[in-house]
Amino acid sequence: MTRLVEVPASFDDRTFDQFAGGFVTAWADGERLLFDAHAADWASPYGLVGLLAAGQAAGAGGREKPLLTAPTAAEVVSYWSRAGFFRAAGELFEIHGRIPKTKPLEDSDVLLPVTAVRAAEDVHEVVSHIQQRATAILTAELGVDPKATMGFAMALSEACQNIVEHAGTGGWVAVQSYHWRRRLAKRVVVIAVADAGVGFRHSLAPTQATRFGTRWGDAAALEAALVQGVSRFRDPGRGQGLKGIRNYVSRWDGKISIRSGTARISITPSWDDDVPLADGLAAFPGAQVLIIIPEQGTRKA
Amino acid sequence: MIQHIDVHAVLRRSVSGSYTDLVTRPTGRAVREGIEQAIVAEASIARIDFTGVGCIDYSCADEIVAKLLRERLRVLLLSGLTDGHREAIEPVLAGHGLAVLLERPDGTLEPLGPRESADALLEDMIARRLATRTPGGDLHLTAV
Repeated sequence: MTRLVEVPASFDDRTFDQFAGGFVTAWADGERLLFDAHAADWASPYGLVGLLAAGQAAGAGGREKPLLTAPTAAEVVSYWSRAGFFRAAGELFEIHGRIPKTKPLEDSDVLLPVTAVRAAEDVHEVVSHIQQRATAILTAELGVDPKATMGFAMALSEACQNIVEHAGTGGWVAVQSYHWRRRLAKRVVVIAVADAGVGFRHSLAPTQATRFGTRWGDAAALEAALVQGVSRFRDPGRGQGLKGIRNYVSRWDGKISIRSGTARISITPSWDDDVPLADGLAAFPGAQVLIIIPEQGTRKA
Repeated sequence: MIQHIDVHAVLRRSVSGSYTDLVTRPTGRAVREGIEQAIVAEASIARIDFTGVGCIDYSCADEIVAKLLRERLRVLLLSGLTDGHREAIEPVLAGHGLAVLLERPDGTLEPLGPRESADALLEDMIARRLATRTPGGDLHLTAV
């Protein structure tokens, strides 16, 4: 028997919890999963890498490779293809539908197509690849000070390294720039990183669980990592990465949100109405990171 | 004696590929070990030159700058730094309470790091006659 998991028509960080709920319910049965994206009309980078993480989890542990029905709308499937989704999805899903045979191209929106991150070398490739184009977008279109554009590459590097060092498995990253008409009426650059690995709670438990006592859980682990800058390593220099990302996004009025297990923590700017900490969500595996840098209204020093 | 170390050259020797960016812990560790091997015992100061290095992330800044200071060197002189490099290095120094000296293109020195640590480093440099102040107040090395 195959269990159906619906991919939201508009698939982004806001609809991810709805998707995760459906996934977790279907996954629990141990049956083969069918991810139905035929009606999808839009997916953010977060939605795309999140779907890959779900596919990774669905096929793990010797379970049958999940099925995926591709979007039927030609422009949607073309966009997912250009964003590099199907190149990565081919390893995880048995895909049904008409997939255009186009290579992932870097047009004006796709700064980094969906890219697998498994090792430190992959992080090097991602950072090398992104710098020139990201600098042009950040300075010319978003009004970020040219001196601060290296911070973007640093944030990207650290977000990807979380997969390599903590997930215990591979993951994916995608970077896109687009005009966010409905939510912000501004142009934004979005970094999305996702894996279906062990998650923050499991990664930090050996060094942090005792300290938190009965409070220990996914929410406490995320709080420890993002707010307190703790790491699973006892080396005093560890834990700087997420702290650095947090400082960078705060400086540019951006947002960082990390979902892991049953919780999601966010550093939210004034333009966003997300809650700082959401707990009791559907227990989606691994970690999913979202970083948004918006167009600057007035340039900051 | 001041020993000059070209970080970009160490990076090329230490990591496969032709990377110009100092990113990831393993890369930082490899570059630090390369620097440690290159440092000769009689060097009182190491000038770590970042010319040609693209991006540095916090992990590499910690592995290279902070660990060299904590475990190997008393004084670290950084040259060829861009504003972007500083963005990664300064928070790491602040996190550890460490200070380094930035050598500007005109040869003047600028301490980087928390105030207390930076002041202590300057006092030490002057006391050991490794650096001196000009009448205008600028700080210079006495050795080259």
